[in-house]
Amino acid sequence: MKYQLTVNGTRHAVDVDADMPLLWVIRDFVGLTGTKFGCGLGLCGACTVHLDGIAIRSCSVPVSAAAGKALTTIEGLSPDGQHPLQRAWEEGDVPQCGYCQAGQIMQAASLLREKPKPTDAEIDDAMAGNLCRCGTYQRIHRAIRKASE
Amino acid sequence: MKRREFLRDSLLVSGGLTLGFSVVANEVRTSAAAAGITPIGDFLRITPAGDVLFQVVKHEGGQGVATALAQILCEELAADWSRVHVEFPMADMARWQNDRNGGHDTGGSCTITYQYDLLRKAGATAREMLVAAAAKQWGVPAATCRVENHAVVHAASARRSGFGELASLASQMPVPADVALKSDKQQTLIGQGKAAKIIPDITSGRLKYGIDTQVPGMMYALIARCPVFKGRLRRFDASKALAVKGVRKVFAMTPVAGHHEPPYMPHDIRDGVAVVADSFWAARKGRDALQIEWDEGEKARFSSEDFARLAADRARERKDPTGFIGDDNAVNDLTRVRKTLRASYIYPHQVHSCMEPLNCTAFVRKDDCEVWCGSQAPNLIVGELAKLLKLPPEQIRVHLLPSGGGFGRRYYPDFAVEAAFISREAGNVPVKMMWTREDDQTVNLAHHYQHMEYQTAIDGANKLFAWYEKEIRTYTWGSHYAGPELPQMAYDIPNIRYDFEELNDEELVQSCAWRGVVSHGRSLSECFVDEIAAELKRDPLEFRLSLLTRGRDAVVSEGGRISSDRMTRVLALAAEKAGWGGELAAGRGRGICLSPYGNTCVAAIAEVTVKDGALRIDRVTVAVDCGRLINPSGAANQIEGGIVWSLTGLLYGGLPIRNGRAVNRTFAENKLLRMNECPKIDVHFVGGDAERPWGIGEVSTPVGAPAVLNAIFSATGKRLRTLPIEGQSLTS
Repeated sequence: MKYQLTVNGTRHAVDVDADMPLLWVIRDFVGLTGTKFGCGLGLCGACTVHLDGIAIRSCSVPVSAAAGKALTTIEGLSPDGQHPLQRAWEEGDVPQCGYCQAGQIMQAASLLREKPKPTDAEIDDAMAGNLCRCGTYQRIHRAIRKASE
Repeated sequence: MKRREFLRDSLLVSGGLTLGFSVVANEVRTSAAAAGITPIGDFLRITPAGDVLFQVVKHEGGQGVATALAQILCEELAADWSRVHVEFPMADMARWQNDRNGGHDTGGSCTITYQYDLLRKAGATAREMLVAAAAKQWGVPAATCRVENHAVVHAASARRSGFGELASLASQMPVPADVALKSDKQQTLIGQGKAAKIIPDITSGRLKYGIDTQVPGMMYALIARCPVFKGRLRRFDASKALAVKGVRKVFAMTPVAGHHEPPYMPHDIRDGVAVVADSFWAARKGRDALQIEWDEGEKARFSSEDFARLAADRARERKDPTGFIGDDNAVNDLTRVRKTLRASYIYPHQVHSCMEPLNCTAFVRKDDCEVWCGSQAPNLIVGELAKLLKLPPEQIRVHLLPSGGGFGRRYYPDFAVEAAFISREAGNVPVKMMWTREDDQTVNLAHHYQHMEYQTAIDGANKLFAWYEKEIRTYTWGSHYAGPELPQMAYDIPNIRYDFEELNDEELVQSCAWRGVVSHGRSLSECFVDEIAAELKRDPLEFRLSLLTRGRDAVVSEGGRISSDRMTRVLALAAEKAGWGGELAAGRGRGICLSPYGNTCVAAIAEVTVKDGALRIDRVTVAVDCGRLINPSGAANQIEGGIVWSLTGLLYGGLPIRNGRAVNRTFAENKLLRMNECPKIDVHFVGGDAERPWGIGEVSTPVGAPAVLNAIFSATGKRLRTLPIEGQSLTS
């Protein structure tokens, strides 16, 4: 089935099954690989993108649900890599392997839009769905705190 | 040391189209189109604009080696760090040989140790060639020129030439035989906590991992693998799978399963059925539609409990010692023993759960093969594919890519073998073969099973005079583990005996390296030491310090030795920073784990609260002596991450098996520690003037679990001896 998707402000036409999760449309059909596959079940957060500004797990949302909405991926979070979170990630030397970090940043960006000055507990709660196997949680937390200042 | 011949011509630019990833261009581009980029030696390329491109030949799986290695080389170069970038070249086994220096092999926390001297020399050599080029251009003696901030300067005439201008001429200069290296005190880049070079590409989504490979005409493949280890494919019906839109081919993987014989680097490839399709989604739907009949085989009769019982039975048998110091039967010396202590500890199978599921893209053509994946040992891929495809090794080309976690799992070439087989079988087309997360959790290799049996003897003077340790373990590296012959024993005990027995044939899942490899189970000895301290009514810290005899070297893995003085220092630092000895409220506890690993030693102190049977890990304080620190920020990140890893294994780990099949399939059942469960982790390096750097990647993964188990005892009086904690009661 044919779908029109707006991703990072650009219109894309794709011809895929209605049940194909957004994750695979974004990665394999639109060709943006910054959004990652970690589990396909919404349990790890690596696939997090924004749908009309709200964080969603793209592995668990079918393409049909995104028709007519604005999708933002990590590539579109900022024009120049200078979103406060991206800067804080660099200043705090946050990532190790980096595979989960796009999802972490997209989730954090959604949090900060909703709660510009989150408490420690609010950060923990908002980020609890994003796994990091390398264990950089302490640094992620600190960077979100920094970006919110 | 042999003088290395530095190659002048770039072997990175070969005939035909090869795709190289460069952080400088921030996009996949052809190496052949990189006009004017000059290689100087094997680890350096310089662009016309003067950007320094450090060639990362080791695997970057999150340990930060790309950055740390670049720091080592660029120190001698006086490069402007902001103009240094990292690149991942094609693998080249002839150019970068696994001879303890330049090769691609990445593991064992060895990278910095192996490459430190080599890269310092490479940087100094490039420096001298750049200086020689400038001196030649200016007609002055080289001794009157020096490097300064990304350029060569001639002070007397106030002339200055940037690296970019000089690179081409520099590459033609004679390679100097001897080069001067900076003294430790002169180093300005080594020892700095620089942010990892790959961060901007990570935070923008530009960094390409193996799974992100896109090749024109690429298909996607998934494999339905036998759910029971060593089971066979009996028959399958592909008709429903082939009816799924997008599915192109379905065939058995049996020809390649069991193709590769251990004795070394075992990597079982399970019998299965491959589905090749034009998208991941179609491949997945196709695989779900397969109808397969397995001959599940012998192992389908067994569950985890059966295996645990078998291991425990074997552990109780006393056979010949593998190694000993003093009297090998001292624990049974009835003339001396006043009190005997015994305990069994279990560190079970664990899953790697790399965030990037295993994958490999392969393109097998008539006369050559190209492979894209994150690999800790591309030489093994080349060796196995040469055998499989009957091609000369030089025709197997491996693109080195960073991975979303190696952790030892990406050392094994099996996923590349799977992908190559499929590419050929599907008609010599490029294929991205992927593992789903369920595959990763159910039919994968896993941390080996370790049953540790301890016995100790205390005499009438309350001296701990004998230590007996038997380790029962499944497969690690070879079919018969050759060593070590003594326990990983930090303490000065006059009689030490170590017995080892393998359980390779009986294992219910293929075992492999999992970060700290054998150290996880062996570090449970720190819990047994705690039991002895409790028996003797001695403070766990004071007791350990009393067993670290001044001036004595302790045997740690395979002949490595660490001085007791270093271990005392690291233990004392951890104790000081954790406030050991300070008052503890009811329900709170502290526990210690001391771990020598290779040439590094680590001491961790965990603080916990147990309330209403629920555990909260409040803080873990870690002191580390890893010799000379290359990048303190990256190193601390590794230590923190290793603690989180250790705690996941402790709280939620294990690999329950029922009737040969793994029970847990997803992150819902195989939980990983999440941010809201992460304790505060404080890392302290001992500092000082160590000359040499030692490893860091695996050194903290063994210490979190014993420290927390000891802290739980301290808080509750309850001694837990098996992992995971989940499901065990914390009330006495």
